[in-house]
Amino acid sequence: MLFFLVFKYGPMLWAMWLSFTTYDMLRAPRFVGLENYASLARDPIFIQALSNTLVYIAGSTVFITAVGLGLALAVNTRGRGRRLCLAGMFLTNIMPIVAVCLVWRFLLHPHGLVNQILSPLGVGRIDWLTDSATAMPAIIGVTVWRFAPYFMVVFLAGLLGIPREYYEAAAIDGAGMMRRFRSITLPLLMPVTFFVVVVAALLSARIFLMPFLITGGGPGGATRVLSMLIYETGFSYMKMGRAAAISVVLFAIAMVFTVVQMRLFTRSEEDAAA
Amino acid sequence: MRQRLTAHARPLGLLPLAGLTVVFVLPIVWMVTTSFQAGEKMFQLTTEWIPSVWHPENYPNAMGRAAFPLFFRNSVIVSAAVMLGNLVFCTLAGYGLAKYRFPGDRLLLLLILSTLMLPLEVTLVPTFLVVHKLGWVNSLQGIAGPLLIDAFGVFLMRQFILKIPTNYLEAARIDGAGELRILWKIVLPQCRPALAVLALLAFRDSWDQFLWPLAVVSHDDYRTYPLGLVRFGEDYGNPPTEQMAIAVLATIPVFLLFLLLQRALRSGFGLSGLKG
Repeated sequence: MLFFLVFKYGPMLWAMWLSFTTYDMLRAPRFVGLENYASLARDPIFIQALSNTLVYIAGSTVFITAVGLGLALAVNTRGRGRRLCLAGMFLTNIMPIVAVCLVWRFLLHPHGLVNQILSPLGVGRIDWLTDSATAMPAIIGVTVWRFAPYFMVVFLAGLLGIPREYYEAAAIDGAGMMRRFRSITLPLLMPVTFFVVVVAALLSARIFLMPFLITGGGPGGATRVLSMLIYETGFSYMKMGRAAAISVVLFAIAMVFTVVQMRLFTRSEEDAAA
Repeated sequence: MRQRLTAHARPLGLLPLAGLTVVFVLPIVWMVTTSFQAGEKMFQLTTEWIPSVWHPENYPNAMGRAAFPLFFRNSVIVSAAVMLGNLVFCTLAGYGLAKYRFPGDRLLLLLILSTLMLPLEVTLVPTFLVVHKLGWVNSLQGIAGPLLIDAFGVFLMRQFILKIPTNYLEAARIDGAGELRILWKIVLPQCRPALAVLALLAFRDSWDQFLWPLAVVSHDDYRTYPLGLVRFGEDYGNPPTEQMAIAVLATIPVFLLFLLLQRALRSGFGLSGLKG
């Protein structure tokens, strides 16, 4: 508990206090009230980072959930090689993020593998990372590549929990594959899906490394997210107070999802008790 | 009926699966082959999947260009410490929260859970100031310190220990076993899958840490490999093939741990769907 106090709550409360001050780590913090927040609200860079963060959260969450579910459905068939495929896909989750970023920076290069594969399909050469229209989608793509297999495992656990008899009964009643998916799989998978959405959203709210290493926030700030702005403001410009104010904003975003998640946890616990 | 279902599910189901797997594995294969490739081949317009000439010397060359042996050593020390710290503290805390009733235990659990969503990125600045006050800036304990317990780990262990029947513990207590002995002899052996998941995730997450070491450490002696690798990558004079060699080396420790724990993990992963 002492640990949490020193490294979690302490910093959190301190951040709240600092966000009302200016502090450069040399002189003592000076109280300035809401000035940090007011100047942030006027700062176009902050506004851009905030909207980038929201776009990133929305994009990653939607695609991680959809791809994760799709993969789980694909894996959830019988037959040989299934386990091998599962392990193969899970490898992406084991690769260090730094290595992931490095590899994808080359793959997304104008002469890289992605364009090599796309060009026979009639897609012209795309400069993924230096075009502000494609940079963010590209980073979301890498994020999905890295994290979707993890959530696939979560979905798979959910799928295995659905009794086989339901499908057999439906098949006897003449329900087709799509129909079975819509009427049995989806509704029964709802709690898991909800859970994945919340966790994926939180995960992407705190992402830093992918945009930082793949594009460095560029081109023209098109991929700069809030966590990156915190680092730049605090450690490059030594404006700790202002950085703390950005942290509080990011924290508020994460908090929304956290509250939802807590509800989820307590509810599932009550279900278990009942 | 059942037979017919599986009969046509098989060819239909497995083809897309194989395709999907290729999409996910291809970049990894690319990383490995490129690490053995000749430098100038990188700029060809088609990818040569099997190098015509193998260049294993990319590895020692890359290791020699920066203090990578030292960086990797630092990373291993930090990650091993973080893994052990998590295994010990999360188990203790999880056990306490699962099997003892005391006033405020629910509240305590909620408080701990709420930190789940406070990753270092958010509390970066103040956590740095705390570590600064402790005099741990530029040291390995500075990197490892704030990572030693993770709320997720506590929660994972608590959930798992909840399922162990309290009768077992009572029986041992009547036989005069101390609390630590009960934990060691009765609780731990039943927690293997959870411990495996915890070990893998704790190791991987600290192995992945970039921003935090970047903030805490400015001296080369204490840099971990991600810092070294990123700096290596930023310098365009360094051949991409050698960057890939380091990337492969960086993947190996986590991969080995994964293989080592694989059996226990299989039963443990159903639970771990909780982690972000």
